[in-house]
Amino acid sequence: MRSVEADAELSRRIIEELRARDALKTQFLSNISHDLRTPLAAIITHAEILREGMLGELNVRQRDSVSGIVNGGQQLLDMIDEILTYVRGEGDQIALTRTPFSITELVDQVCVLNQPLATKRGLTCERIGGEEMPAVYADRDKLKHVLGNLIGNAIKFTPDGGRIWIIVSRRGAGGEDLLVEVGDTGRGIAPDHHELVFREFAQVDSSPSRPHHGTGLGLAIARRFVELHGGHIWVESELGKGSRFYFTVPLVPAP
Amino acid sequence: MPHILIVEDSLLVSSAFEVIFEDAGYSVRSAGTVTDAIERGAERAVDIMLLDLTLPDGSGLDVLEALRQRSALPRKTLAMTGHGDAATRHRCLAAGCADVLLKPVPMRELLRQIELHLK
Repeated sequence: MRSVEADAELSRRIIEELRARDALKTQFLSNISHDLRTPLAAIITHAEILREGMLGELNVRQRDSVSGIVNGGQQLLDMIDEILTYVRGEGDQIALTRTPFSITELVDQVCVLNQPLATKRGLTCERIGGEEMPAVYADRDKLKHVLGNLIGNAIKFTPDGGRIWIIVSRRGAGGEDLLVEVGDTGRGIAPDHHELVFREFAQVDSSPSRPHHGTGLGLAIARRFVELHGGHIWVESELGKGSRFYFTVPLVPAP
Repeated sequence: MPHILIVEDSLLVSSAFEVIFEDAGYSVRSAGTVTDAIERGAERAVDIMLLDLTLPDGSGLDVLEALRQRSALPRKTLAMTGHGDAATRHRCLAAGCADVLLKPVPMRELLRQIELHLK
């Protein structure tokens, strides 16, 4: 008869083995993503050279076609970067670099970055409130990533002519948390899927014919970044009634 | 005519940069290894060195150190890296780079940076 100790030892070894395999896969994902970046970056740059007419003027159709290479390449690069960001977080390589900054300025900056895409789709994207908010002492790049992801998703999943808003306010009895709401008039998410959307590699529609493609990592990374700050992220939504994503970040004083 | 040295192990990337810089009126040389880069950097005064950090025979920052010892430092060195983290940035600036660019640098941005640093 096997002893309890032997069983425990076996379990321990299996867990160790699984952890090692998981780490190996993470390392592989990191290496391959990094190696994919270089040739892809070269493809984009060569296409830019053609598009800018450095090797001779192109006609309109040729330029449109080459622009397709640049834009498609850029989308692919964004996805690879998302995988790299995620993998680095997996390897515990993520630490917060806090600096004091204005959250409203950051929101406005992310809105401006997304404006061309929003305009193309006839969407409005506006910030509401937050002017009285004191400087936030947090990791600016990471919160920019979170905002970029939420606003990018809102644009992606809202039909043409819709509305996207970002409300900046404070929450808690003493206003101890920063609260940001990113809302849209899009198709909404069924309550059953509210948890799922924040899970790695999860997409509500994972069929090959789904209309929106991506790594399925965006919201998982957003959650990780918000939780690193000690905050929370969640969604309130119903199918056909738009979505409102919220995140909080505890307001800590700068040293 | 300002002279640019591209230190980058991917020929796909350096060949694209060569077209861009020649079109903008700069003279250009490329090197794909640390050894090659030290040789190219020492044979002619370089105005701007674009320096990839990961090279087959060592780190790009080794090039900078070797050229310093030969008193052949480029006027300005711009590091190029796939990692935008603060530690990498700090390491490059401490080694004497004027700036750190995150790869891939969009073409117009690259030309703007070169102009800026040539001033």
